[in-house]
Amino acid sequence: MKLLIIEDNEDLLENIRTYLKREGYICEAARDYSEAFDKVMSYTYDVVLIDIMIPGGSGLQVLRELKSVNPKTGTIIISAKNALDDKIEGLELGADDYITKPFQLPELHARIKAVNRRNQRGGQEILNVNEISINTDTMEVTVDGTPVDLTPKEYDLMLYFASNKNHVLSKQTIAEHLWGDYVDHLTNLDFVYQHIKNLRKKLEEAGANNYIKSVYGIGYKFKVNNHA
Amino acid sequence: MKLITKFILIYLFVTVIVLGIGGYLSYFIIKGELNNELKWRFLDHIDRVTYLLERGKDFNSKKVNHSGDRNLEIRPLSVQREPDIIVKDTMVWHERLQQMEPNLKMTAYRTVDDTTYYISTHGALVESDDITEAVVQILLWILGMQVIGAIGVGFIVSNRLFKPFRNTLDQIKSFNLQDKEPITAQETNVTEFDDLNHFVEEMTRKAVADYKNLKEFAENASHELQTPLSIVKGKLELLTETDLSPEQYQYVEASHRSIKKLSRLSESLALLTKIENHEFTQKDEVNFTKLIQDSTQAFEEFIKLNGLEVEADLKEEVTLQIHSVLADILWTNLFQNAIKHNIEDGRIKIELTEDFLRISNTGRPLDDDPHILFERFKKADHSNESIGLGLAIIKQIAEQNDYSISYDYKDKWHTITIEF
Repeated sequence: MKLLIIEDNEDLLENIRTYLKREGYICEAARDYSEAFDKVMSYTYDVVLIDIMIPGGSGLQVLRELKSVNPKTGTIIISAKNALDDKIEGLELGADDYITKPFQLPELHARIKAVNRRNQRGGQEILNVNEISINTDTMEVTVDGTPVDLTPKEYDLMLYFASNKNHVLSKQTIAEHLWGDYVDHLTNLDFVYQHIKNLRKKLEEAGANNYIKSVYGIGYKFKVNNHA
Repeated sequence: MKLITKFILIYLFVTVIVLGIGGYLSYFIIKGELNNELKWRFLDHIDRVTYLLERGKDFNSKKVNHSGDRNLEIRPLSVQREPDIIVKDTMVWHERLQQMEPNLKMTAYRTVDDTTYYISTHGALVESDDITEAVVQILLWILGMQVIGAIGVGFIVSNRLFKPFRNTLDQIKSFNLQDKEPITAQETNVTEFDDLNHFVEEMTRKAVADYKNLKEFAENASHELQTPLSIVKGKLELLTETDLSPEQYQYVEASHRSIKKLSRLSESLALLTKIENHEFTQKDEVNFTKLIQDSTQAFEEFIKLNGLEVEADLKEEVTLQIHSVLADILWTNLFQNAIKHNIEDGRIKIELTEDFLRISNTGRPLDDDPHILFERFKKADHSNESIGLGLAIIKQIAEQNDYSISYDYKDKWHTITIEF
């Protein structure tokens, strides 16, 4: 997958790149408006990440131009402002998703994958992890063809793991992905474990390997040996 | 009280005092003049009698009506006396009125041909009451005209002269920082008003500038904070990808939690600033009943997890005029508070009518005075997870929509009531 990251902050850029490189993505960067403009006009990308506040112009303007030449490109807006107006404007301009700082890299990654899946030519909606396959269109999970009956939250969790294979995901990260801001005020994250336990059980009963590993009681890792 | 009313009142007050003094003086002057007039007339009579006596007229000591003076009394005295005039006030029986009336009596001794005559006459004085009555009547007329005049002048002054002042006042009243427009001074031909207008322009210009700076600062601070937080978060996530010992993991996780808190803090502050800056003034029709029902479903898992029991007594279809985002934040904060500060196997009661929203939860008593509850960064329960802005936000939203908010603790129940 080829990505363009429009972000003026070197450190943040580095974080995103480092994380995504492990997934085998080709990441290009643009640090200001004119560079971003050049790149979106000259090359095609699968997904473009756009920070709204960039030197020399607005990320929303880049989005506008990108949509005029390459409407098929997946776009995610990154904003530090939780400003409703930005969000609405961004989504109106045809951005596929919107994420606010400070975001989590696994979360960003899961969203990039989702955007890319939706925009893929031919619309391939099947995500395969060895014997497990996830149909993101029908929201069905099968193990070697056997359907697994998952609750919406468990399906969400499955997809999140599949998007972030071999990454350590802390309970906090998982909780935030599944429940968003609702978990802000909770000290007790045991409910994450409940969902993990149920998902693990259902997958194993359907004959899948146990990929979900605990990491020091802090988080979990969906461990798959061969990198897909 | 309106300025013009005040002006008229002061004017009338002064007028009344002046008229009072004037009346008092008038009374004495009039009384003096009348007395003098009477005295002159009597003197005139006496002189005339004297003249007649000198001409040899005999009055035969009986009352003769001379020049219409029936009270004239002329008697020759047996002894001679120095010419003299005595004036005094007496009371004389008045036939027609059947009462004693104050009279001025003038007695003169005149010597004609070696005979001294006693000549005396008296006449009714104008009564003081009558003078007073007349003076008061005059004064009342004057006062009446003064009142009409003052009101007339007042209206002219307030309508014409104070027009620029009232314009400025209207402008100040409708001045809103949100419009980011200072009040521009209009030229009048009155120095003081011009000064005022220029001052107002200067002040609003400064207020607008300050407001803009503050808003920008709050936005920028919040924005600038989010990027480094994002970076640290990312670095920590990358760190977890390397081989860490369990102990190191603990450190990373603890840092994560602190960053989360920091970013929530800056978000909440930014939100508070936005509410204070009246950025959510738009009013939507918000169905509160539905809002509460939806959120209880969303929180169901956490409610179950904490072993809480929620009972809701909601009136159907309660709609309020409030910005939908604010309604959401208001309710979520209230509800999360009730969950967060609850006890194991506790309970939550929600009550909603057209007039109020009441949420109660079981919990330990507060460590602090409940009055500080709604202040920023004041935590009545020192759990380290809360940032202490939740209730400040609730209060700000309530104030923004003219809702009153109150807190009560009784028999292990914390209750927050919001009256619409």
